[in-house]
Amino acid sequence: MSAHVANGRLVVWLTFFLGAMFQIMPLPKIVEVWRPDWLVLVAIYWAMALPHRYNILTACFLGVLLDILLGATVGIRALAFSLVIYVVVMHSQRLRNFPRWQQSLLVSSLICGYHLVVFWVQYVVVGETPIDVVLFLPAISSVFIWWWLFLVLRNLRRLYNVR
Amino acid sequence: MKPIFVRGISIQFRLALAVILSVVLMISNQRLEPYRQSLSSLLTPIQYLANVPGVLLDWSSETLATRDMLSAQNKQLMRQQLLMSERLQRFEHLRQENVRLRALLGSPVHMDSRKVVAEVIEVASDPFRQYVVLNQGASNGVYHGQPVVDAQGVVGQVVEVSKFTSRVLLVSDSTHGIPVRVTRNDVRAIANGTGDIDDIELRHVAKNTDIVAGDLLVTSGLGNRFPEGYPVARVMNVSRDEGQNYAVINAQPLAALDRIRYVLLIWPDEPAVDTHLSEHLIKQSVETQLGSNSVASTANGEGQ
Repeated sequence: MSAHVANGRLVVWLTFFLGAMFQIMPLPKIVEVWRPDWLVLVAIYWAMALPHRYNILTACFLGVLLDILLGATVGIRALAFSLVIYVVVMHSQRLRNFPRWQQSLLVSSLICGYHLVVFWVQYVVVGETPIDVVLFLPAISSVFIWWWLFLVLRNLRRLYNVR
Repeated sequence: MKPIFVRGISIQFRLALAVILSVVLMISNQRLEPYRQSLSSLLTPIQYLANVPGVLLDWSSETLATRDMLSAQNKQLMRQQLLMSERLQRFEHLRQENVRLRALLGSPVHMDSRKVVAEVIEVASDPFRQYVVLNQGASNGVYHGQPVVDAQGVVGQVVEVSKFTSRVLLVSDSTHGIPVRVTRNDVRAIANGTGDIDDIELRHVAKNTDIVAGDLLVTSGLGNRFPEGYPVARVMNVSRDEGQNYAVINAQPLAALDRIRYVLLIWPDEPAVDTHLSEHLIKQSVETQLGSNSVASTANGEGQ
């Protein structure tokens, strides 16, 4: 049964790289609050499609990278990433077969959860952070991005035969 | 073949591992600072690449600008430059006078310090934190705690340095505090960020302190981090509520924190190369004059 070949590693990591890039790209202040969580979305896709290859520890690593890129306390996003991807891996079979609109709503709620975890940990570690509706705007924009991102990543996966 | 069941270590175990790892990382955050800096240097290419669209946009707006736009801009800049150079003439005179007076008083002369222009390549995407990342790092001599200003006022200070980039905490971040002084009457205070980009507040100021809306706050130079005299903010409103222990004072930062693109890094301890000499010469000449005057006066005293 160990016949499955791990291929397309480069493609997957390239998408992670691009996700990180979009995540930190400078944007005008008005658009800034609407920035979808690119890296989380990409991680969710790969964890959903290939849960045996990209799962919690990959997500944890990506979270550490993002923490360093954002200059936050290292570990905050690593924890949030791990928890989100845990849920995705647990339900990957089901998530894959959901209709698209249902899928994107679930992804949106996962993004909400991600931001809540980040907020909560930041509150504990850094302290004194006022809660704001702004926190949940990315969850809305992520819905629209997911529709598009899912198609792009699926085509990429099929094109390069990533298994 | 895609295995249906995940083999190897179970998901729950992986989750536990990831959670423990992140908690350990969070706890030992302070101790990991050197590793973090080197990792941050490794990740610099991502930051530079993420900045490419912005650079392209700048470049296209430069190359696609019409002749009329350019000439209008040119005219405006010329006018501005004329006004500036007029002020500079007076300033130069005042500066020399100031150096002379300070030398007479025997107090240390303010040297013009070294400055470098840096470009902002990343801004905080986190609504709770306010920082920018600059394209100058340890290889350019940037250090932890270095003051950063723009054309209008103080922007913040460097909190993290990697090899080619550095992170600047803005004065409006809720963890930032800066010692200030009111220009009108030299009242001292500490301006804390609020997390709101156009609002900083003065905390623990007694209710009878003489601060009114419109006052200009400049750095006081206390704390040895920011050099003295850079404008920080303008007081917007002061409320003295009887129910509160202290006056509530809000001020608006003068630097355009929400649209900074270029900033100045300052080295307060390193003198600028060109002006350093002339100041030194003035000081020396004043000192020799003082010396000869005192000799003359003692001689006169002895004569009488």
